[in-house]
Amino acid sequence: MEKVKVEICCGTACYLLGSAKIMDIESALPEALRGRVEIEARPCLNLCERENLGGAPYVRINETEIVAKATLEGVMKRVTELLEGVS
Amino acid sequence: MDSSLFLEMESAQFTKTGQAACGDDVRFLTVERENRHLAALSDGLGSGVKAHILANMTTSMALKFLESNMPMLEAAEIIMDSLPVCEVRKIGYATFSLFDFRLGGKAYVTEMGNPGYIHLRGVQEVMPLKDQMIVSAHWPDREVRECVADFLPGDRIILCSDGVTQAGLGQRRDMKFGWRRSGVLEFARRRIALDPEISSRDLSAAIAREALNLAPGGCKDDISCVVAYLRHPRVMRILTGPPYYREHDSDYARQALLGEEHVVVCGGTTANIIERELGVKVRVNLADMRTAGSLPPVGKVAGVGIATEGILTLSRVLSAIEEMRPVEGEPAAAKAILDRMMRHDRIEFVIGTKVNESHQDPGIPQELELRRSVVRRMAQALERNYRKVVTVNYY
Repeated sequence: MEKVKVEICCGTACYLLGSAKIMDIESALPEALRGRVEIEARPCLNLCERENLGGAPYVRINETEIVAKATLEGVMKRVTELLEGVS
Repeated sequence: MDSSLFLEMESAQFTKTGQAACGDDVRFLTVERENRHLAALSDGLGSGVKAHILANMTTSMALKFLESNMPMLEAAEIIMDSLPVCEVRKIGYATFSLFDFRLGGKAYVTEMGNPGYIHLRGVQEVMPLKDQMIVSAHWPDREVRECVADFLPGDRIILCSDGVTQAGLGQRRDMKFGWRRSGVLEFARRRIALDPEISSRDLSAAIAREALNLAPGGCKDDISCVVAYLRHPRVMRILTGPPYYREHDSDYARQALLGEEHVVVCGGTTANIIERELGVKVRVNLADMRTAGSLPPVGKVAGVGIATEGILTLSRVLSAIEEMRPVEGEPAAAKAILDRMMRHDRIEFVIGTKVNESHQDPGIPQELELRRSVVRRMAQALERNYRKVVTVNYY
């Protein structure tokens, strides 16, 4: 079964603006979906210095999809969609 | 002292159970212009706040007199004359042990009323070249012992208060007279045999902890142990901030190759440069994320060292060393850096000077200090409060 990879930025800006809360994502997911996400804390995704991406905190899903102004709820929603086959 | 050598002086203390202040005092002083390193340990009469004051007065006066090269008998007399007289015992009293390490490899130890010092070269005890007792005409019941010894690289001097040598006294059948100096000597030799390069910090802590453990049911007397150890400095390096010019990235990253136990990479962008230039990866354990406390978690970089967030973590470390807070209780990332700082003698900061654009976001608190000013204050606090040698290089 394929896993969804979630990279959470732990850089200063993202951390201050709330990325720490997203680290709880695994325990916040419904039991059936737990174990199907691969969570990784990254020192810095280097996204905050790029303009027009929407603002910190940033999360990257499956290497390519960038979530700006990420919240636990928002990332959970997106991860659930991906796991349930809605994209 | 040879500039390639470092004298590590550390102490460990336990306060008598039930007392608000420790009745022993330990102070260190480095006289840069003369390349001298001084330590003073004093045990004030009784315990608690009164003893604390007596001991503090003694160490501050003794270090002042020692620094100004006053004859020690005269110094001891002034100290005795100055101490307030105890209402109960009708004497003004505090013991002391002074260690004076001078250029040329000579150590001078002066003692009054404290347990005899221990001088070890590896596990072998070293006897002084000169050892004499002098008696004050003014205070005939006080004897001052003056010793001179060769102090070579690898040598250690241990000073203790009687809370260490008398630990267990009257409580254990096998220690009718307590742990005694001979017990401390044997213990130190065993520890050094197990770990020949044990730091002063670890050895003084081990001796104080053992003294505490010998007397079950709380600390019976103030316990203090000072260890001075002459060795080649242990160097650690802290890399923080991206270099101003990108073409310096690779040179900068190579500064991180000093050995895993000695390197800290502070900052997300810095960690990215290290990853890119050295072909390594920062790994953060999931379990560590939950125990990180109020700072972002600590990552490990195989073959390089540890990686933490930048300015928040450094600011936390700065406040801990400025206030000399105990390392325990700090968030994991700050504790990891503080632990490393305490284990090393020479701390090299390698600072990238590029301004972090993302910190200019209006959503970020204004208090976020500039990296350079945090490091400058850290260097001052490390030198002043912990006697570290600090260097700062900019990229």
